[in-house]
Amino acid sequence: MTDSELRQAFDQHKDAVYRFAWRMTGSPEASEDIAQEVFLSLVRRPESYDPARGSLRAFLLGAARNQALKRFREEQRWDVLEEEDFAAAPVLHVDVVDAVAAAVQALPPLQREALILAEYEDLSLEEIARAVETEVGAVKARLHRARENLRKALAPFYETNPRRVGHGI
Amino acid sequence: MEFNDQKLKELLQKWEAPPAPRELFFRVFPTPPWWRWLWTGSIRVPVPVGLAALVVLGVVWFWNREPVSVPQGSVSLADFHPVDQLEPRIIRGVNYEH
Repeated sequence: MTDSELRQAFDQHKDAVYRFAWRMTGSPEASEDIAQEVFLSLVRRPESYDPARGSLRAFLLGAARNQALKRFREEQRWDVLEEEDFAAAPVLHVDVVDAVAAAVQALPPLQREALILAEYEDLSLEEIARAVETEVGAVKARLHRARENLRKALAPFYETNPRRVGHGI
Repeated sequence: MEFNDQKLKELLQKWEAPPAPRELFFRVFPTPPWWRWLWTGSIRVPVPVGLAALVVLGVVWFWNREPVSVPQGSVSLADFHPVDQLEPRIIRGVNYEH
């Protein structure tokens, strides 16, 4: 990759990488650090991206995911990244945006990353599987559990305004 | 009504993330100190501009060049004296072996 190609890649994907890190960590500072690490590693070792293995966007989001999990492990915020028994509780927020943010960030990291990549970054199941280094079946299971947990967490918002969910609460 | 995937998706889309901050660019592509440009920088000049600049430089040089020094005044032969007596010697050859 030439310097101009690297800058073009940065311009095209910086927002997706930052957004993903922001939703995963909930911290602007951590998100900026993660995005910086992701692009610096691409600048230092551009050959690490193999176009035959998928899109650059999916590759960068996978790198951001690895950085985010590394932080979680260092900070010991989660003892187990995948908690199959995790059961979400209804979120207690007045504002729907805060409620959605709290519900997503309460998910165990592996469920959260699969959900963010699918719902917010529009990656296919195969792309998510490649980004998170697992099988498509595992991604499907994580997505299923994540959606079930979110339904439980956000039930109060839906039950009070079932017709207005799509039109702003 | 059922709280299905579509309804959940609509609810999730209400949580928007901010774009990447501008500072991120400078953290990934740091700007080198300005003086480094003096060693490593380059300038792209369009050919017409470069040619025009060369012509201007040529004209400036032509008009400001040092004039050729010409001896002041006229040359006088008043103090010129021809040689009184020529004594030509003809050397026919030199034998360097002896």
